[in-house]
Amino acid sequence: MIDKTIQTSPGWIDLESIRNEFPILSRQVNGQPMIYLDNAASSQKPNRVLAAMEQYYTHSHANVHRGVHTLSQEATELFENSRKKIARYIGAPSEREVIFTKGTTESINLIAYTFGYSQLSEGDEIILSEMEHHSNIVPWQIVCKNKGASIRVIPIRDDGTLDIEWLSNNISDKTKLVSVAHVSNTLGTINPVKDIIRIAHGHQVPVMLDGAQAAPHMAINVKELDADFYAFSSHKMYGPTGMGILYGKASWLDLLPPWHGGGEMIKEVTWKETTFNSLPFKFEAGTPDIAGAIGLAAACDFLDQLDVSDIAAHEHTLLAACTKGMVSLPGLRPIGTAPEKAGVFSFVIEGLHPYDIGTILDQQGVEVRTGHHCTQPLMDRFAIPGTVRASFAAYNTLEEVEKLISATQKAIKILS
Amino acid sequence: MEMSVQNITLNQEEVIEEFSHFSDWEDKYEYLIDLGKALPEFDPKYKTEFHLVKGCQSRVWLHAEVSDGRLYLSADSDTVITKGIIALLIRVLHGQKLSDIYNADLYFIEKIGLKAHLSPTRANGLASMISHIKSYAKHSPPKEDSGETPDAQQQAMIDAIKEVYDPEIPVDIWELGLIYSLTIDAQGNVNVTMTLTSPACPVAESLPMEVQEKLLALPFVKDVELSLVWDPAWSKDRMTDVARMALDMF
Repeated sequence: MIDKTIQTSPGWIDLESIRNEFPILSRQVNGQPMIYLDNAASSQKPNRVLAAMEQYYTHSHANVHRGVHTLSQEATELFENSRKKIARYIGAPSEREVIFTKGTTESINLIAYTFGYSQLSEGDEIILSEMEHHSNIVPWQIVCKNKGASIRVIPIRDDGTLDIEWLSNNISDKTKLVSVAHVSNTLGTINPVKDIIRIAHGHQVPVMLDGAQAAPHMAINVKELDADFYAFSSHKMYGPTGMGILYGKASWLDLLPPWHGGGEMIKEVTWKETTFNSLPFKFEAGTPDIAGAIGLAAACDFLDQLDVSDIAAHEHTLLAACTKGMVSLPGLRPIGTAPEKAGVFSFVIEGLHPYDIGTILDQQGVEVRTGHHCTQPLMDRFAIPGTVRASFAAYNTLEEVEKLISATQKAIKILS
Repeated sequence: MEMSVQNITLNQEEVIEEFSHFSDWEDKYEYLIDLGKALPEFDPKYKTEFHLVKGCQSRVWLHAEVSDGRLYLSADSDTVITKGIIALLIRVLHGQKLSDIYNADLYFIEKIGLKAHLSPTRANGLASMISHIKSYAKHSPPKEDSGETPDAQQQAMIDAIKEVYDPEIPVDIWELGLIYSLTIDAQGNVNVTMTLTSPACPVAESLPMEVQEKLLALPFVKDVELSLVWDPAWSKDRMTDVARMALDMF
């Protein structure tokens, strides 16, 4: 179906063979070929991820870290090898520092609770940014309220970039942690996280990065970044849902108290006292999502094989074409025009509600997200109720971008 | 009664017939949008938190009135497609008997291919709007049951609120203009939207409670739902002349 000639740049990625790995891409929506542009919410899954999970369930499933029997040992090996692979993928110095969670939200909650309850005192401050997803706001609000600490917010400029100077000027002895998005889900802005970490570490303040939108689009190296905590989700990077990672420096994770109690996370339990397991198991109570971990590791393989920097270059070509075509439409205003952006194009159209635009696009088979994207404070900052957001993945084509533009044009015609 | 059920069914059939002429989605949606645009203007006084049907992406305001055992509806939305579907719902249900509305099976929405708009993931408030209408139709008592006229109830509520004072200003909070909206439905459920002179106001917690207590003490009031809002912010312009005079003299 995909004409080779519409490949973005010869040699970067082979779109045809990529698309063949995603059976869902050939389905129809409302009688039209489906154009899936809601990848920032969740990406589709390649065959190899599904196959790895099926292979596990059909051949090697048993509970991990439990039995002496062959199946349990096989399952444990697959599970722990997945952890190693993921650790390598993000440049973690040790797989002990890679904790399996349900996703970015749970990873942030884990740190909010364990760091918050052990390290925060009354009068302390946490610094977030104005572009955060609710999942990097609400856990901190809960813990700060409980501990009498407060939240301060790095403001953003009109183009959707962070005002880093504000951070330099406002970080203080009271600051106990900085937690910001690596890439904004609504604006696509790639934040200067190295600068943020440099400034924070200059004040001995640790930094947590919400990498949910970064992991699918760029090579992540937590060691090079010198991030103290890094959270991301499997389902946004071609892996299964319900699986995510918390990376934390061992020095921090050893220091923090356990969060959920249960099996797996203990060394010894008596009625008098329980001693806790070492990393990473200290933070993994209960039977983990074994198939999910295996699926995520297969997704890392997929990204590695394609080379995530080639994917980024491809997505950048799509974004540039999208931006150029869309801004020429009457009344359309892009939200988020930072010079450094990942594959996200958010927009509003004068006089039209995002809900209506999204509905008319869906009628044409174009799947985009509408609404506030779980970033209500950011919507308030721009004084808009929501946006329409198209977000790209490795399998999207220039042809699809053109369809988005013509479908939006049609929506304007119908709705005006 | 039979007649009226027939009416809802007939209305639905009429809509289905109308929509059967559209061969493609574009014509259908253009027609829907035109219907939304043609919806009678919604009385701005009902555009309050109380009349807002919760939806995450788009908002729907609904006002229902009972007269002679029939339900009369008006509604609005900030999105044109939702508004178009509202226009259809009103066309099918407006002026029908309460019991018929409650028992109605609104199959026409699916038949004309708009069922997806009622799914919770659309978060457009339409599904809640239908359940609001039905619950209104179910719980509305016949009009003659309520002892006092709505006007008399409203005046009694205002009088009760006038007994509440901001401790720092010798003017009651009604004259100060702190009450943004005050409504009561046929079941005696009161909805109040109010503000305080400043978010830093030290009595922030006690004033709304006092208002609630005064209203609950009225015999016809069953329940009071109070929302404290900061938008729009209170300003001196909201005071009545009585309040201004009192303050100038003070």
